[in-house]
Amino acid sequence: MSIKKDAAWEPRILAFCCNWCTYTGADLAGLNRMKYPENVRVIRVPCSSKVNPQFILRAFQKGADGVLVCGCHPGDCHYSTGNYYTRRRFLLMQRLLQYNGIDPKRFQARWISGSEAAKFRDTVTEVSAQIKALGPNTKFVGAHYDNAAYQAAKEGGENG
Amino acid sequence: MTELTQARTEERIREEAKKALASGEVRAVVGWCATRFDDRTRPFFAETAEECDLLVWNPYCINGTAKFALDDRYPDQKLALILRGCDSRAVNRMLRDKQLKRENLYLIGVVCDGKENPICEECQHKTPLVYDVLIGEPAKEQIYPERFRKIEEFEKLSPDERYAYWAAQYDKCIHCYACRNACPACNCIECYADQYRVGWQGKAADREQNQIYGLTRAFHVGDRCIECGECERVCPMHLPIMRQTRKMLKDINELFGSYEGGLSEEETPALGGFRLDDPDEFM
Repeated sequence: MSIKKDAAWEPRILAFCCNWCTYTGADLAGLNRMKYPENVRVIRVPCSSKVNPQFILRAFQKGADGVLVCGCHPGDCHYSTGNYYTRRRFLLMQRLLQYNGIDPKRFQARWISGSEAAKFRDTVTEVSAQIKALGPNTKFVGAHYDNAAYQAAKEGGENG
Repeated sequence: MTELTQARTEERIREEAKKALASGEVRAVVGWCATRFDDRTRPFFAETAEECDLLVWNPYCINGTAKFALDDRYPDQKLALILRGCDSRAVNRMLRDKQLKRENLYLIGVVCDGKENPICEECQHKTPLVYDVLIGEPAKEQIYPERFRKIEEFEKLSPDERYAYWAAQYDKCIHCYACRNACPACNCIECYADQYRVGWQGKAADREQNQIYGLTRAFHVGDRCIECGECERVCPMHLPIMRQTRKMLKDINELFGSYEGGLSEEETPALGGFRLDDPDEFM
């Protein structure tokens, strides 16, 4: 990618967190005063299987550089089976996005339980570093959303 | 198929259609009739014995007949459908999705010999899988070994090339929803794209909305696709729509075991269920 990387550029990452595990885990990370990159925006969802594949497409269109879906470990779902559906759905979704030209690192799913505050911190740090290395997302970005990286790529005649 | 057997099949179709109508249970028989072009037919509802004589069977009978059954979901009388292999899978699809009732259908299966439609080269089931009466000798199931060849070739391109390819395709899309209207797996009573107050789908025919539409549709039907090729046939802009759904099918085959849509009324689509030992590869 030939976009000039601004040193001050920080990725925008959207994290869908399940209410019963990951959101509690993130809460615990806060209680324990853990530090993690602030470029993650958390959205609380009742279950990771609530996340519709369209949420992810829409997130990319509205300027997210990465999307993270987090839920309970298999077997721990508050609703018994929700995360099994999540697992199938996003395995396919990640491959479909990859097929359409999106780097699989930009869309990831993880299992983080309510007591794994450190895992939440590590995951967020890791994903944030990966996406920072990839640079701004220029694919699937809506033309009229205010996204400097996208505009720059478009003016440069890139695949915008 | 020789000229004689084609004519004979046509004769048998007309006979069966008349018989169905004469029973009094059937409202109409859906098949194909001639048009003023020699190389075209159109879908046709035969409602009387005289109209049954207008039904034709030739290499140009390419429209799917199954989806017409959805136009009246709660009929007073049965609807008879003339089915090729692909149409029978479409019927299975809609029965499985609980959109139709089997007792509202009378199915006249015809062993298909392939039509003037590129997708017919890839056909694996020429004999209908569900029928009340079958015309012709059941053909042997064919295996089309190159089912995913185009997908595999496409996957070899770089991510940027793949994105540029699809972006160019979605720039062409005119957002007419013809693919949705023709698709037997797109059988929701109300499509998400029509729920305009919810705002899932914008109405503009620009790249952004077309990408949302194309990928969402691929994901909605991907695990239930019966590979009939209706979406590509009806697309006025000739978009390779099946390359998205076939990609889903390829992954389902790799990850969750061999799968073909619409083979029976009882199948569970990949995204409608799960197994405890599903691969956990990206977690």
